[in-house]
Amino acid sequence: MLRKASLVSFALTLVMIAGCAEPPTQQIQEAEKALKDAQENGAATYSADEYAKLEGTLAALRKEVADQDEKFTLFRDYGKAQQLSASAKADSERVKAASVQKKEEAKAAALQAQQVAEEAVKATQDLVAKAPVGKDRAAVEAIKNDVEGLKSLLKQVQASIDKEDYPAAQTQAKAIHDMSQGVSTEIQTALAKVGKGKPAKKK
Amino acid sequence: MAIDRIHKTLAGVLCVVCLTSCVQAVPPDLLVALEVIDQDLIALRAPEAAPEEYRQFVRQWVFLKARVQLDDDLIRWPWESSDLENELRRLYILGEGTVSQLHERQASQHRTAQAKVVRLEEQLHTIVTKVESIDGRILLGEKVIQTDLLVKQARSFFEQKDFQRAMQAAEKADRALKAQASLLSQELGRYADESRITYWQNLAKQTIDWSRIHRSTAIVVSKADRELTLYKSGRKVLSYPVRLGFNGMLEKQFQGDGATPEGRYRVMDKRGPGQTQFYRALTLNYPNAEDRRRFDFAKRSGRIGSAKGIGGQIEIHGADNELLAQTLGCIMLDNPNMVVLYEGVSVGTPVTIVGALTRQNAVALTLAELAQRRDEI
Repeated sequence: MLRKASLVSFALTLVMIAGCAEPPTQQIQEAEKALKDAQENGAATYSADEYAKLEGTLAALRKEVADQDEKFTLFRDYGKAQQLSASAKADSERVKAASVQKKEEAKAAALQAQQVAEEAVKATQDLVAKAPVGKDRAAVEAIKNDVEGLKSLLKQVQASIDKEDYPAAQTQAKAIHDMSQGVSTEIQTALAKVGKGKPAKKK
Repeated sequence: MAIDRIHKTLAGVLCVVCLTSCVQAVPPDLLVALEVIDQDLIALRAPEAAPEEYRQFVRQWVFLKARVQLDDDLIRWPWESSDLENELRRLYILGEGTVSQLHERQASQHRTAQAKVVRLEEQLHTIVTKVESIDGRILLGEKVIQTDLLVKQARSFFEQKDFQRAMQAAEKADRALKAQASLLSQELGRYADESRITYWQNLAKQTIDWSRIHRSTAIVVSKADRELTLYKSGRKVLSYPVRLGFNGMLEKQFQGDGATPEGRYRVMDKRGPGQTQFYRALTLNYPNAEDRRRFDFAKRSGRIGSAKGIGGQIEIHGADNELLAQTLGCIMLDNPNMVVLYEGVSVGTPVTIVGALTRQNAVALTLAELAQRRDEI
């Protein structure tokens, strides 16, 4: 009799233990938060393929939890969901770190290109400042126009950087640098033609 | 005993057959093939170039891969169908289709973007050349360099195989080119305006008539054709090419604008060697009464800043530097031509400067061509 009672008690304990299996809600939330963090740090742009895979992992995680939820209480097992959420969280954190690094690299490259472009425009401006002020200034009037244009284009580079559109900023800065060099060559050619400046005349 | 042994043997064989016939839930080859498709899509820059298609594939792929890993302890009979395997096979077909579509799309985008960028570069080159031919570069201000930047950006994105951004930059450049052509039409449209040309023709005719009636010399300058013509007793005796101000096609409004004035003037002074830095010079009576009236009106109406002056010392002169292509507003001739002209005129000789003398003038033709190109863009 006593043996029978022990068996029933043991079975009940088992049912209680098994019935306590809960979905790893907190870990899932942490994994989702890690993915959101990654997205906010540019993962969709700078690690697009890995970010898309993480979205897939989260979908698989939700499906696994839903599958277990559908099972009879005794047979539920959230162990694999826990594994998935842990790996999704770890991967999201890794992708976030990689994205931040790639974004920083893109920013650094854009800033460097911006600096090079600014220096080139400054050098061009300095050349214009040496241009004659007299009647020979006709030779560089059109070029001065271009230098003003280059100065205003530098603002576009800054606007792209402010918008964190680093690829656009880099291509703009590169183009400005090339154009500045072209304008500098034009000025030098013009200066070579006109020689020293002469006194200004009324026109 | 023997029967018992036979039963045991049969049971053993059955067990061996059963065990060896069990297969994994998903063939490993299929997983490898899908991994290859994923790599192909990444190589095709699908995450950036076709994010929706890539997301659709990869979400499913990662989802199914996770299912495979979660079910790695499952085995099945060879004759038993696997839903997971079926889904993976469907995904494989979808992935193959996506790779093939992306290949085609990229090839098409490459062709389209290349054609667009090349055409744009040609358009820009042609327009810049045309604009320079009518001294319109300054008129366009910063627009020229802004358009150049967009074209270069389009080229740069194209070379980075970012066809979408290349096309975006190209579209912007297209619009900038159209805006340039519109601005030129607006500023120089008077060269294509019939009533204005008739007015200029009348001015020139009166000057030629005066030359005939007074049996004297007179000069007519057509800015659009950059040509100076000397008349004697109403007869054309010579024509020379001239260079104008750096903003020469515009009507002169104030000092320093680089425009060459238009109107009826006279030679006020002849300056020979030693009297001018420009080889020889004929000083004109700019500003005359009409210029002053126009200047005062423009100032009163606020079109010209109050600090601006009307300018002066407009001359027909030789070249101090043969390499200079433009002046600050004067009319410049090559020195050998200047000698002939200088000898042929006297103080008081009328000089009429007009925009153009024919409807088919160089500026009007260029504007028409630019308008046509603008429509083609």
